[in-house]
Amino acid sequence: MSDETFELIEQIRRTGTRAVMATLVGTHGTTPRKEGTKMFVAEDGAIVGSVTIGGCVDARVIEQAGEVLRSSRPSLLEMQLGDDDAQEIGLTCGGTIDVFVEPLNAAIYEIAKERAVAIATDVRSGSHAIIEPLDGRSRMLNEKIYVEVLRPPSTMYIFGAGAVAIPLVTFAKTVGFRVVVVDARPRFATRNRFPQADDIRIGIASEIAEEIELNATTPVVLVAHDYKFEIPVLKRVLATDVPYIGMLGSRRRGAAVLNMLREESLTDGQLARIHTPIGLNLGGETAAEIALSIVAEVVAVMHGRNGNSPRVR
Amino acid sequence: MYGEVILDHFRHPRNEGSLERPDIVHEDLNPLCGDRVRIELSIDDGVIRAARFRGDLCIIAKAASSMLTEMIAGARLDAVADLRQEELLGALHDEIPAGRRNCALLPLSVLKAGVRLFSASRP
Repeated sequence: MSDETFELIEQIRRTGTRAVMATLVGTHGTTPRKEGTKMFVAEDGAIVGSVTIGGCVDARVIEQAGEVLRSSRPSLLEMQLGDDDAQEIGLTCGGTIDVFVEPLNAAIYEIAKERAVAIATDVRSGSHAIIEPLDGRSRMLNEKIYVEVLRPPSTMYIFGAGAVAIPLVTFAKTVGFRVVVVDARPRFATRNRFPQADDIRIGIASEIAEEIELNATTPVVLVAHDYKFEIPVLKRVLATDVPYIGMLGSRRRGAAVLNMLREESLTDGQLARIHTPIGLNLGGETAAEIALSIVAEVVAVMHGRNGNSPRVR
Repeated sequence: MYGEVILDHFRHPRNEGSLERPDIVHEDLNPLCGDRVRIELSIDDGVIRAARFRGDLCIIAKAASSMLTEMIAGARLDAVADLRQEELLGALHDEIPAGRRNCALLPLSVLKAGVRLFSASRP
């Protein structure tokens, strides 16, 4: 997962025209979108993202974006909302919403793809400075400075290039992961099968697992369905603090693999980190449905949720 | 399901790992099942002084790799070409089903290919 900013910028860059970036920098009231939410408006009229959930505020931002495109000068939209306006965008009552609209400077965001940074923006002049990342969320530091906290996309490592891995890559990319596919078989781990994968690694999978950086931001999904990969890769992965480990297979098969790991002196506490059977219980059976359930589980775990419907508390 | 020799070599593989400065390194795989093994040899005066293997391997392939590296340690390099499949299969002391013979023979084919390439590169 990542800040959706990177994906939105990529989308707007594909238009090949100049664009304006609108950022929700301040809200007073309960809003469905958080500070930092963005919308982009390109010179050719393309619109990507939304600072609210639609409605009049977005319309006013789009209108202002046209002005910023013409003048190349940033502006801060401070909108007073009546109760009707507020309810339309999800606020419980009237309040204010601040949106900073500026010409897109995509180069700044390239830096954040590589390392965590914070971008400080003077919302009066539009000038930027890259500063050390702050803890917490994007927010206005004071009336003048908005700080946007950005982290590089998390990398999902997928071991096994079989049928489930194909839609898995697609879904993982859609929710913002950088995705790396690992397999021993060059006939399966091909660019044709995984056009969206950021990297495809072919070789001794357990050796690759030792070489890659696994940390608290890198979920690992094993869909190889073969103990010869699963045992050595899991041994390596369990020695790290990755946020999610999932292994494809039935309950019975999963139990057999866990038993093999117990024979290698891994404890039940360690093995409890492995999600097997993998995925949320969506009831699907096709490769795409299984992949969807896996990505849903990864997202839930990384947000500290159990994946239940919000109706079930 | 598997014989004692195979299980012993699978659970306690001999010569698994890498050499610091190998003279021969060769790696290949079974393209469908994904068994992939790398074999490294240290050669001194035409004799295999040390052999190592590394790979993600099924029980039979891992046991065969382990067994093979034991068999060739101390052997003359030019004797590798004469090593017969039956010698390795026999050393495993088990009936390998026809469908799994490729698993058992993968390390041998990797070894022979590596030695062949090494020998062809020598003046």
